[in-house]
Amino acid sequence: MNKTDRKVLKRNPKDRLAKYGVNASLVLVSLAFVTPLAWLVFASLDRNAGVSSVVPESLTLQNYEEIMRPDVALLPIWNSLLLSFGTAFLTIFISVLAAYPLSRYKMRFNQTYLYVILFSSSLPITAIMVPVYSLFVRLGQLDSMLAVILFMSASSLPFSIWLTKNFMDSVPVSLEEAAWVDGASTATTLRRIVVPLMTPGLSVVFIFVFIQAWGNFFVPFLLLFSKEKETAAVTIFRFFGQYGEIAYGELAAFSILYALPVVSLYFVMSRSLGGSFALAGAVKG
Amino acid sequence: MISTRNLKRRLPILPSFLMLALFMAGPIVWALYISLTNTSLTGTAAQDSQFIGLDNYLTMLGDPDFPNAVWLTVVFVVGSAIIGQNTLGLFLAIGFRSASKAIKKTTSALVMAAWMLPEIVVAFAAYVFFNTDGTLNQILLSLGVDPIAWLFEAPMLAIVLANIWRGTAFSLLVYMAALDDVPEEITEAARIDGASSSQHLFLVTLPIIKNSINTNLMLITLQTLSVFTLVYTMTRGGPSGKSTTLPVFAYDQAFRVADIGYGAAISVVMILIGVIFSVIYLRLLRSEGDKNE
Amino acid sequence: MKSKKTILGASAVALLLVGAVSGCTASSEEATSVNSEAEQKTIKVSYLVNDGFKQLDDLFNKVKPEFEEKNPGVVVELDPITGTDSDYTTKLSLMHQDPSTQPDVFYQDSFLVRSDVAAGYLLNLDQYVSEWDEWDMFDEGAKGAGQDASGSVYAISMGTDSRGIYYNKPVLEEAGIDLPWQPENWDELMADVRQIKESTGEIAFNTYSGNGAGEGAVMQGFFMFLYGTGEDPLFDNASGKWVIGSQGFRDSLAAYETLFQEELAAPVEEAADGNMWQKVLGPWIKDGTVAATIDGSWVPRMWGSAGGDFEWPEYEDEIGVAYMPSQDGGSKVTLSGGWTLALGSETEHPEEAFAFLTEALNYENALKFYVDNAQIAVRSDVAQDEAYQSANKFVPFFTDLVSSTNFRPATEDYPRISIAVQQATDDIMFGNKTVEEAAAAYDQAVIDIVGEENVIRK
Repeated sequence: MNKTDRKVLKRNPKDRLAKYGVNASLVLVSLAFVTPLAWLVFASLDRNAGVSSVVPESLTLQNYEEIMRPDVALLPIWNSLLLSFGTAFLTIFISVLAAYPLSRYKMRFNQTYLYVILFSSSLPITAIMVPVYSLFVRLGQLDSMLAVILFMSASSLPFSIWLTKNFMDSVPVSLEEAAWVDGASTATTLRRIVVPLMTPGLSVVFIFVFIQAWGNFFVPFLLLFSKEKETAAVTIFRFFGQYGEIAYGELAAFSILYALPVVSLYFVMSRSLGGSFALAGAVKG
Repeated sequence: MISTRNLKRRLPILPSFLMLALFMAGPIVWALYISLTNTSLTGTAAQDSQFIGLDNYLTMLGDPDFPNAVWLTVVFVVGSAIIGQNTLGLFLAIGFRSASKAIKKTTSALVMAAWMLPEIVVAFAAYVFFNTDGTLNQILLSLGVDPIAWLFEAPMLAIVLANIWRGTAFSLLVYMAALDDVPEEITEAARIDGASSSQHLFLVTLPIIKNSINTNLMLITLQTLSVFTLVYTMTRGGPSGKSTTLPVFAYDQAFRVADIGYGAAISVVMILIGVIFSVIYLRLLRSEGDKNE
Repeated sequence: MKSKKTILGASAVALLLVGAVSGCTASSEEATSVNSEAEQKTIKVSYLVNDGFKQLDDLFNKVKPEFEEKNPGVVVELDPITGTDSDYTTKLSLMHQDPSTQPDVFYQDSFLVRSDVAAGYLLNLDQYVSEWDEWDMFDEGAKGAGQDASGSVYAISMGTDSRGIYYNKPVLEEAGIDLPWQPENWDELMADVRQIKESTGEIAFNTYSGNGAGEGAVMQGFFMFLYGTGEDPLFDNASGKWVIGSQGFRDSLAAYETLFQEELAAPVEEAADGNMWQKVLGPWIKDGTVAATIDGSWVPRMWGSAGGDFEWPEYEDEIGVAYMPSQDGGSKVTLSGGWTLALGSETEHPEEAFAFLTEALNYENALKFYVDNAQIAVRSDVAQDEAYQSANKFVPFFTDLVSSTNFRPATEDYPRISIAVQQATDDIMFGNKTVEEAAAAYDQAVIDIVGEENVIRK
């Protein structure tokens, strides 16, 4: 008793000092990370925002009102939605199809295919943009939203199949077998049993693909031309790529509006990630 | 030897296979092909391109801008990913173990926030932050330091810092997860043995999470190699090529100079670099998998 | 067995989706035209818009309803593209790659016409102009700007321009320079510029430079020096070969080096920005930050247009103009370019597209565009119009300069050569290379572009 007390006493000052140090450095890092963000938020609420403005004299939502017009922010955001939802749905659909045989059947081919997939998931997409553009020219698919969705899906597929397969692995075959005995088909069990059981996992994959498509600038920048098909990232680039007279406040408001959906999706994802881990645990247990 | 049953079983894989073949393998093969031609966006070669053998690659060897782009890419990857994001992520994760809960929560939320934002928004915010009249210079000014035109005089530094801001969250997540697996008893034991915190870090913690470090390093290297938007929108590779990393260089040659063939040759080099790192990464995963079994 | 069928079915759907791209090349264009009114013809018109250039947008917005009224069943779809000249050039060439994205009518810098013709992007207009009674009103130089080597017409000039020096009179007076200012050779120019620098400490002489400024770096910049160093300094017309290794090229680079090293020109940080002209012609020349600048004849459009971004009614009193002297004196140096309207080679409605073009360039609209955009008239009838001649104070000066003008080499290789020249000015401006190194790099670049057999050493 006495001994431990002394030990606690001896450790405390040093530990407390270390803890202060750690806390202080974390506060510094936080400050560094929050500063550029703070400008963005303040500028979006400041009608007269410039690069050098800090805290606005009066807060207003006027910047948001200004950009909430079809030709400014709404159409580009709609296009981004179209692109991201299209990509995410298509990716999920193809991933589930591909994951089933990879997860359920023992074939030598599976191992190879999984390695190919893992391999291509780490290839840098920007490296192939020049040939992709040239290929789109050859296929006559420039300025086609469908083709861009297909390309974006293909580039998300490797990672998505990999994740989907892993989630599917954790759904026990025994559940399916029971249904098969009752005369259900593979497709039925896939649709009625497997997919519902891995909904949390699939929503993670969905959100993941969606966020990637939503944030992508390079692909639509290079492959879509019409104003009517312009996505939000490209519009923002066009706004501030001009250097001249940038409406900083409106651009900041647009940026925040554009960032909101993905930030909220991250929160949803962190929830359902917890959920799918729970599922994995339940299955193992 | 493949039975009909096996064929049917594999069929659902086919759509994914075709997508990957057309949009991933296709462009790679296509890049190899057009890099051997003088395909252009303008002039005669735009409608009637010629096979020119290895000319584009020879041009690359004699082009001083190419080693410049390779070097800047190395600076970018090493500076922002390997040194910046990786070290900061690791230290934050270690710090979180002894920090007070409120501070830990705030810091991780802020670090994550920059990661969640779309790349173009990060680029815009960073562009303003490093602007000559921007926030950073205002802070410096209030500290009595003369403002610097960051994007002009130190474009690489600005881009490296912007990418650290944007990407540290990834390493942080990896290391938080890895450290969670370090048994509390080991930490305690080391402390009782009187190890200093730096000894503790190098002798105990790092060896335990070595695999996570390797994996993280490979992943962030691959991610950083392909960063285009951040660089292009902050500086467009300038001034005078001082921040032209390989992706920007390829874009510039293919689309501004209109030399698609040369741009494709640069793409091929980037793909090769990507392949090398991917192979190393796969090896790492494999050996890790072996150990676990 | 129903099971397998459904999985197979799902796979088939997915396959179809993939097939939609790989197999079917039916463009989205066709899809939309099926949806819309069967009889309706749509003409897409692509053109450049930015803070300093809204005049064409004005013109087309005026022409569109007029044209649509005269041509029922034809819809004009305006496609303004925002950005710098160089962004616009890139985007346009990306759009030309496919019939579905190629515009029917578009605005194009005359220096790109030859390479566009070679690339097959432009529709041959010979037949159309032969039936256009107003074509004879265009002067020969303007016709030439839109022709290929064989004399076929591919683009119609919207006006031409010339280049000289604008200076802020009070600032030069303050510096003790006699007005009107007219340096007679480079030595005089440099001496005066140094004297101005002494006096103001600001940008004494702006010349455009570097990759960011794009074509402006050669036209309102390097070529104004180079073309003052002797005949055919860039392209030897007699042999049809590109000039390399010339003393004139090195002397011009040396002049650039002096201007930037002695900080007589704009700070590199500003000059590297492709949009610096907006500052030069906006606030800087007004408040004397820039004492003198090389620029084009169109500049008064920005100061003169009421409510424009650079509106400055007092410019007629405050601004003086001088021509750019040749290196050793004795001649005026200027360059002319200009932009054109052309038709996409794959247009489905060439008749209607050409009708739109002629509507946009008829007497009334040409006059509007010449005046609003401060162009030098290329239609001889409009050139006589009182409204044109009195459009701004400097019209006589710049129109007179046209008689001693130079045109860029009309070859398809020019755009890439120009990029090599821009690179040389960039390297000098940043101090990356010495004059000798930059000149050598340029020579090598030219050889890479056109081949050893198409260069001539001078």
